[in-house]
Amino acid sequence: MTKSIYLDYNATVPILAEVKKSLLECMDLGPVNASSVHYYGRTGKSIIQLARLNIANLINTKSENIIFTSSATEAINLLFGSFKEIIVSSIEHLAVLNSSKSDLFIPVDPSGVIDLNYLEKLLKEVSKGNQEILVSVMMVNNETGVIQPIKQVVDLTRKYGGLIHCDAAQALGKIKIDFEELGLDFLTISGHKIGAPTGIGALIFNNNFNLSPQILGGGQENGIRAGTENILGIRGFGEAASIMSKMPENNFSKVNFFKNYLYNKIRELRPDTIFFGQEAEKVCNTLLMALPNTPGDLALMKLDLENFSVSSGSACSSGKISKSHVVSAMGHNHLASNSIRISLPPNDFILETEGLITIEELDRLAECWSNI
Amino acid sequence: MINCSQLIEDMDLEGNPSDHRIVVAMSGGVDSSVTAALLVKAGFNVVGLTMQLYDHGKALQKKGACCAGSDINDARSVANKLGIAHYVLNYENLFQDQVMEDFADSYLKGETPIPCIRCNQTVKFTDMFDRAKKLGASAMATGHYIRRKRKFGKPALYKGIDNFKDQSYFLFATTNEQLEFLRFPLGSLTKDETRNIAKLYELNVAEKPDSQDICFVPEGKYADVVRKLRPGSIDKGDIVDIKGNILGQHNGIIDYTIGQRKGIGIGGRKGVEDKDTILYVIELDPYKNQVIVGPKEYLKCKEIVINECNWITENPQKMKSKVWVKLRNSSDPVSGKINVDLETGSSALLFDEPQYGVSTGQAAVVYNPEDTEHVLGGGWITKAPNMLS
Repeated sequence: MTKSIYLDYNATVPILAEVKKSLLECMDLGPVNASSVHYYGRTGKSIIQLARLNIANLINTKSENIIFTSSATEAINLLFGSFKEIIVSSIEHLAVLNSSKSDLFIPVDPSGVIDLNYLEKLLKEVSKGNQEILVSVMMVNNETGVIQPIKQVVDLTRKYGGLIHCDAAQALGKIKIDFEELGLDFLTISGHKIGAPTGIGALIFNNNFNLSPQILGGGQENGIRAGTENILGIRGFGEAASIMSKMPENNFSKVNFFKNYLYNKIRELRPDTIFFGQEAEKVCNTLLMALPNTPGDLALMKLDLENFSVSSGSACSSGKISKSHVVSAMGHNHLASNSIRISLPPNDFILETEGLITIEELDRLAECWSNI
Repeated sequence: MINCSQLIEDMDLEGNPSDHRIVVAMSGGVDSSVTAALLVKAGFNVVGLTMQLYDHGKALQKKGACCAGSDINDARSVANKLGIAHYVLNYENLFQDQVMEDFADSYLKGETPIPCIRCNQTVKFTDMFDRAKKLGASAMATGHYIRRKRKFGKPALYKGIDNFKDQSYFLFATTNEQLEFLRFPLGSLTKDETRNIAKLYELNVAEKPDSQDICFVPEGKYADVVRKLRPGSIDKGDIVDIKGNILGQHNGIIDYTIGQRKGIGIGGRKGVEDKDTILYVIELDPYKNQVIVGPKEYLKCKEIVINECNWITENPQKMKSKVWVKLRNSSDPVSGKINVDLETGSSALLFDEPQYGVSTGQAAVVYNPEDTEHVLGGGWITKAPNMLS
């Protein structure tokens, strides 16, 4: 069978060759349980420590601020367990929307940027109570790629005495994340978005806030997240973070070129295509688009059968595709079932080392799209 | 047991199998799994589609359960085993609107609906069918036990070879246009043969039990589902005899079907003249909210009217003289005469012998008197007057 052209890097990035190498090395280190006191245990502890340093370095924080979890979703659930009053944006990932159980939503404008005035209104109302307020806004939206004004969110939230969480799963590897400079309280990230294996995420926190653990047991991760450490995942995450740190800043001109090429080609061949979030500041790799009368799941199936792997809306574990709450929140409810996301590698480094995208394939993709 | 060249011939498509994309409606059961497997082995380019029709977690009232039942996973693992693309179609809203609402309304009207046929009519052979065409398929195949053959150049529908599994009753509403595009590779197999093929191909559904109930009705408790769909619209009422004497109380007419004998719930009937007469449900009156019971002879029905008729035959008006009609999936066809009105889509059926316990909401499926395997079409029973009416 022909291998499918992968254009779903926002879903996951393939394990980078160098990460794979380091994982294989790690497998040869022997029976490593980082909680053990002996030689092998110490080996495990040093692997974890190095990974913490590498990740801390990538996002500019202290290594002791990092709690490893199985995923960004788990990190978010762990954090939200300690809050009752959570304000979220209406375009957050389901990990945030479903675990916050919040009904305090910050709306977005038609281009997909959150409404800061409305956030202030919400903060005013909610800060009258005595509860500790958490505001949760993502750094980059996973569907549109639109970058959110996190610095302003921090400033506003501070003004009303709230705490701030930023889901940066989609920002990692795409734009600079500076935990200290942004003045965040909490940040969550995921390893597989930058070429580490799936199954490893992290919660970063920077205050004296007492997190209540969700998983109790042997006291790993400072007692905040028990369970034998996922050495391979942590090692892979650390290695990928180290690779990302070595990249020059704004390392995405090639990604940008490919994305613009595809965008223009599609506009030329299928002028009725609607693109979302184009008016806002965006990461370079993401295109969210729709055809007025074609359900997204049909477009996805047709592209898949033509060997292009893209995504549509949000798919649950059943495989059924539901309409995009992000497109709805942007006020395009009639197109919420039609959207298709194409996501290129997050940066030039991954494009060059792992991405096998060529102009010919993008031409063929645009051609297929125009025939849907 | 498996004759690829026969299968390829029955598929009724020009050129090589590899030239054709075939969409298989995969439910996750053994029948549709084997359908997909046979087509893959015959060299067709197969794509599996599975319909997500309702939230399984909600239907079973299981907290935290996934919206998808295990059937979707079975379909997916079979597709994976066969190396074919497989997709899930989210038809939850459609199914709710087109099938479940109708199901509930039908019971409230005192009818006994068949949602499986409605589903074929409104979801499977319309929306999924349309999707198969849009995916560039040459045909859509299902795991029904029914045969499609060409007769005078037109596709015609025949009972499945396996008499116990024959599903022609459920497919009477298949239109000529749909039949052009549909294929039923299992029509020439028995259920045992299907299971053996599943074992031969090591499909993990080979031993999976057949589905017995309506898919969205757990444990066959259909009345519970209707109560959930129509809260507040089901009232207690009287169980009366044919003269109108109150014999007892019911909790809603939806709990009863015409012809029902057991579990009517009137116990020892004091004051009834003939205690030995077995009582049947004769009629359900949604206006008076009454269940009317009486002796069997009151169930006698000599003729019925069917509506929304579908004819899979050149000239249905020619059938007049004599046809065979199936009034329930589980019963044998009976003979009668039919008067087809193509303009109204309504037909009158006159039975040669009176029938008992015919219920509105059910289907009447018509077979060719010269070849009783041949399905000519049918309609929905809208009037079934018995001795009481």
